[in-house]
Amino acid sequence: MTLALVGGTHRTVPLALRERLAFSAEQAAEALARFRDCFPGREGVLLSTCNRVEFYAAGENGIDAPPPEQLVRFLADCRGIDAAALGPLLAREHDDAVVRHLFGVAAGLDSMVLGEPQILAQVKQAWAIAQDSRTSGPLTAGLFQAALRTAKRVTSETALCRERVSIPSVAVADFASGVFERFDDKRVLLVGAGKMAAETLRYLREAGARDVVIVNRTVARADDLAARVDARPAAFDRLERELAAADLVVSTTGASDHVVPLDLFVRVEAKRQGRPLVVLDLAVPRDFDPRIGERPGVWLYCVDDLAAACEANRKSRQRELPRALAIVDEEARRFMGDMHHRTTAPVIEQLRAGWTETGEAELDRLFRRLPHLAEADRGEIRQAFDRYAAKMLHPPLASLRSESHSGPPHGLLDALKRLFNLQD
Amino acid sequence: MAAFLSGISIVCFAASYAVALACEASRLAFRSGVRGAAMVAFAAAGLFAHTLFLFWRAVDGGAAPLSSPFDWYLLAAWLLAAGYLWLTIANPRTPVGLFLLPIVLGLVGAATLASREPFLHDAASLFWGRIHGGLHLIWSVSVVLGAIAGLMWLIQAGRLTRKEAPVRGFRMPSLERLASITARTPMVAAWAAAAGFASGIVLNSVNRGRGLMETVPWTDPVVLRMAAVVAWLLIAARIAATARSRPDGGRTTARLALVSLAVLAASIAWGVLGTTRHGRPATAAAVVVPTATEEVP
Repeated sequence: MTLALVGGTHRTVPLALRERLAFSAEQAAEALARFRDCFPGREGVLLSTCNRVEFYAAGENGIDAPPPEQLVRFLADCRGIDAAALGPLLAREHDDAVVRHLFGVAAGLDSMVLGEPQILAQVKQAWAIAQDSRTSGPLTAGLFQAALRTAKRVTSETALCRERVSIPSVAVADFASGVFERFDDKRVLLVGAGKMAAETLRYLREAGARDVVIVNRTVARADDLAARVDARPAAFDRLERELAAADLVVSTTGASDHVVPLDLFVRVEAKRQGRPLVVLDLAVPRDFDPRIGERPGVWLYCVDDLAAACEANRKSRQRELPRALAIVDEEARRFMGDMHHRTTAPVIEQLRAGWTETGEAELDRLFRRLPHLAEADRGEIRQAFDRYAAKMLHPPLASLRSESHSGPPHGLLDALKRLFNLQD
Repeated sequence: MAAFLSGISIVCFAASYAVALACEASRLAFRSGVRGAAMVAFAAAGLFAHTLFLFWRAVDGGAAPLSSPFDWYLLAAWLLAAGYLWLTIANPRTPVGLFLLPIVLGLVGAATLASREPFLHDAASLFWGRIHGGLHLIWSVSVVLGAIAGLMWLIQAGRLTRKEAPVRGFRMPSLERLASITARTPMVAAWAAAAGFASGIVLNSVNRGRGLMETVPWTDPVVLRMAAVVAWLLIAARIAATARSRPDGGRTTARLALVSLAVLAASIAWGVLGTTRHGRPATAAAVVVPTATEEVP
């Protein structure tokens, strides 16, 4: 059994080259079909995301995985890239390093944002494409199943994926949700129609927000975003009225001065009847006068406030990293032990068959000499023989399993073959 | 079976609640996959033992719930423990036990100091006695729940004001949810306390008519403290109602709820440590004092 990995990530391959190297789902299926033709008898899985392109190859039963240089050329050919330019940027791994790498990738330990969960779905999809393309066999199936199991363990046994680390997600989950129990009965006001507003609205929608109003100086942009996110556009001169009606404001304009100065807010405050207001001021420079945050019932958060919370969450994730790595290490050792043990299967099979055959022959001879034995007695004797054989075989098989944890047990296998005259 | 039931002591369920509280406190120190199950298991075991204890007192000693100060405290603790179990199962990530279980243990502790002598009664006073005890139970539990929600509100608001991410294992419910609890409980507590006080006057009158128990004078510590408690709770309910429409209403009602808890605690301490004729059998010397019922207009 051999495993090989060739691949590049956001750390090693520049974005321009990563864009050329990336595979869509259809392109990945085509590449795997080509792999099947180029490397018959081998298994392969292609993982392509916006941050990484990695090819996992495996070979078994005397067929080795393709050499890394061939895999580099294969990837380069598939995407029409010069292999000489690509080669130095790609990492190459073998056997247990491949296992540890994939397990870490699936658990989000190698992601740009530590512990991000999307990678797990992408790993699953990559394996599904390989299954559909018939390039995933028993070895890669076991490898990817173990990777998914590892990722689930890391998710459930550590807090690595719990803390949010993007500003919109932290704004909604850690702050807006701290004030409001539900969002389906709240009025959300977007001031500005930027990308950050749309991103924040996505999290608010997930939290249940329905009633969304977009106010923007450029009406066409407000209309455009409103149509995309199923919201109601409003003219900018209605800002004061919409502020009075809003429960949560997401402000992302590019204005150079405060869009909501204190005096405007004081006028609005009188019309709000004491309702709390959450303001997520994601604009730089800030859209809301910071003194508004000191008004009773107002929870005002600017980008710096949210970035500080994100950073705290990132550090919290970092603190979980050693526990996550320990899980990856434990699972990798277990997987490699199982894989090494698989290589002993033919020898064990022969050993068992030899003992069974000899036992059966001896039993036949015994039963011929003792024809008066009842069927029940014969059954008891047969069971005793089976138990004897199992007990005699147990120590060598246990030694094989134990030896498999530290690598392929070639020495023991050779000894068994010579001692019991087993054939390759 | 009887031997088993009679062997259950206060220590059994108090220890279970204490272990559940320790599990809750450990949320702040480390993560655990089995802690949630352990908390629920210990709380459920404690509640089960608590239930059997009250049941055995009712069956063996004829001490129905609310029939003595001791039973009253234990029933209040039972209600809060049951509430804790329900809230923990429904919201496993909220450390409500950190706030609720100390009060449960405090009530159990108060029970050990309180009189176990059942109040004397006949059919009429039994009816009014249950109304009286039940209403006191309602306002007390309302005050405790309101205060816990108020304390959680202040903690959550403090975090949001300091603009900090939630502490792992210490995630509070939203301000909106907590404010809705702190806004409602003062009303429930005020009306139940007022009705409980009124039912006490009626009960006093019934007891006096039958000569079963000492009539309680207006100057009795129990009457005075309850009058003060009722007055405070009515004021608190009024302030909470008007604070709703103010931007800082949540903070006001949260603080009121905590003051109400302090009033309740002082009232309990006064009741446990003070001298009173409340619930005492009649004595020859006790009938000369002007009574509460006589002074009712």
